[in-house]
Parts: sequence; structure tokens; C-alpha cells
Amino acid sequence: MSCAHPIDAAILADYWLAALPSSEEESVEQHLVACGQCSARLAEVVALVEGIRTVARDANLLMTLSDEFLKRSAQSGLRIRQYAPSVGGSVECTVSVEDDMLIGRLAADLSSEKQVDLALCNQDGVEYARIADVPFLPQPTEVLFQQPIEFAKGAPSQTMIARLLGHDESGAERLIGEYTFIHTRTIPGPAAF
Amino acid sequence: MYEMSFDPSDADLVLRIAQGHDPEAESEVCRRMGPRIRLYGLRHLRDHAAAEDLMQQVLIVVLQALRTGSLREPDKLASFVLGTSRMTILEIRRGSQRREKLLEQWGPEALAPSSTWVPRLDHDRLHGCVQGLKERERWVIVMSFYDEKTSIDVAQFLGVSEANVRVIRHRAIHLLRRCMGESE
Repeated sequence: MSCAHPIDAAILADYWLAALPSSEEESVEQHLVACGQCSARLAEVVALVEGIRTVARDANLLMTLSDEFLKRSAQSGLRIRQYAPSVGGSVECTVSVEDDMLIGRLAADLSSEKQVDLALCNQDGVEYARIADVPFLPQPTEVLFQQPIEFAKGAPSQTMIARLLGHDESGAERLIGEYTFIHTRTIPGPAAF
Repeated sequence: MYEMSFDPSDADLVLRIAQGHDPEAESEVCRRMGPRIRLYGLRHLRDHAAAEDLMQQVLIVVLQALRTGSLREPDKLASFVLGTSRMTILEIRRGSQRREKLLEQWGPEALAPSSTWVPRLDHDRLHGCVQGLKERERWVIVMSFYDEKTSIDVAQFLGVSEANVRVIRHRAIHLLRRCMGESE
């Protein structure tokens, strides 16, 4: 039987997070127990939520993170390898099979910035990935980003340049800082992709 | 014995069970309500095994009530199931030992619904979908669903309003479902 008033998947996600007002939660729950179609949709949302958890836990997303998030990950037993080159500097780095997360820490004063992008470039400075509009707290002193751990474990020795880019009033980009990561492969594997 | 060749209403099932021995109707109640109870249990207990236990306990109580004709309004089966689920969770939280006694009496096999549990997703595809989100959308869903932060926490972190976090989360959910090929 088709539902006359299907509940939106985003509302079901709010329900799953216990983020609905109690009156709305009550009516959603009554509907879910009575409606097979919306209950099945909730099961899809639950699968999506569980999938998101797995994807996040795998540490294979290229993304920025908060220091707080990192601390909790460490407390949960994850082994985190971190490198923090200075602005304009470089750092020798690697990754081992035991590592669960690989983090780059980019020190920068972003207090006057409205929008910051993180660009990842090869050793010739050619950009191959960008995280636009990095979230940061007021008075930030660094940007933390996660390199996908499985990618890093399989990567040959190579150099990566990370650039923090600001945007001025006209929208033009401005270099805030550049950081060089010189990766040496220590896990056996092919010399190139 | 006969096959269920149509989709009986909840009230039909309630009436049939009350009229006498009707394993087909009881089975249909379990098939229909079991997954819903289990999701309710997972939402409130946050534990798959506990949700499974809840489903069994509630189905026992519901079938007992239906057999004895205790449900006066046959079209109120869903409300009865929800009320029983709520009461049972309260009992579980009080550390009730009732489950063991009831399972001894009924046996777990009789109470397993036949329909599916949580569907499995293509992990690689979902990874690509999450990676394809904007950074703020990714932060919101990772902080909300993995890091289990409240909307207030996420809002403070991103320097936006709580309502804005909700909007971003809703947009991300819709984008992910679309990316995974699920209908809206």
C-alpha cells in the first residue's frame, strides 16, 4: 500500500539522531509503526548512517578535521601519524601498515580570512585536488587535513605540496602558506602508480 | 491451511487471530511489525542485539493480546505495538528478566519476522558520494553521524546557526541518497 504522507528521508535522519522536537518525534514514531513504506525508508536511512560511520572510520576521506576530532580518534585507539611542516618548509614523511590515520598539520594565522581553500599539488606545483571553503574556528592557528590512509599506504615515494589559499574582496586567490611533504614509501610495493 | 494471496489490513489480521488458531495471520503480523519494532528498538537502544530482543518481546506480548482478543479496537494495532514497544523499553531499562521467561515459553524461532533488516550499501560507491560533498556538508554528516555531535555542537564548531546545520544536513542526506540511486 502506498503512503499518502511519506516522511522525508532527511526528517528520518533527524529522527535517528534524536534531533526532532518531542512532539514531532511522537508523530513520526506513530507513523513509522503504522507505515511499512516509511519504515522501509527509515531502514535505508539507517543503512546510510551506518555506511557513513564506516566510511568516516576507515579514514580514507580526503578532508579537513578538527583537533578535537583527532583527539577522540586517538582516545578510541586509532593509531595516528601526523606531520607538521612549517610555513614554506618541508617535512620527510612516510606511513606504516599499522597506521590508521595520516594527518597533515598546516600552521597558519587565519584570523583575518573569510574563506580558505586547501589545494594539493604535485612536486611541479600542479594542483590535483582542492578542498574549498575549509571550516575553521575563530582565531585558528592551523588547518588539519586527513590524507586517505589506504591511498598513502599504496603511494610510491613522491612529493606533495599543500597550499592554503585565501580569497580577497574581489574573489582573487592569495597564497597564505605552502607546505611540502616528501613522502618515502616504506611499505613494499610498485615504485609508481 | 491457505496462502496469503492479498494484503490484509491490520484490522483483518487482528480479527482473524482473535477468532481462533490462525498461524498465517500471526506470521503476517510478525513479518509486518517485526522490522518496525526492531528499528524502533535500534533507535532507542542503539544496539542491534538489544533491538532484536525488543522485537521478540513485543511480538510475544502483541500475539498474546491478539489471541485473547484483548485489543478492543482492531484498527489500533500499530498504536498498540508502539505502546507495547515503549513499555518494553522501559522494562528493559529497569533490567527486567521477563524476556528469558517469555522466550522459554514461546521459543525465539516462532517470533522471527521474515523481512529484511537494514539494507547493505555499496561501500565504495558511498565513499565516492561522501567525498563528492562540499567540505561543510561532509563535516556536518561526519560530526553528526560518526562523531555523534549535537546540532548545537556542530553549529558552534562551524560558526553557523543550528538551523543552518539542519539545512546543510538535510541537503547532504538528499545528495547522498540521490548519489546512491535511492528515490526521494
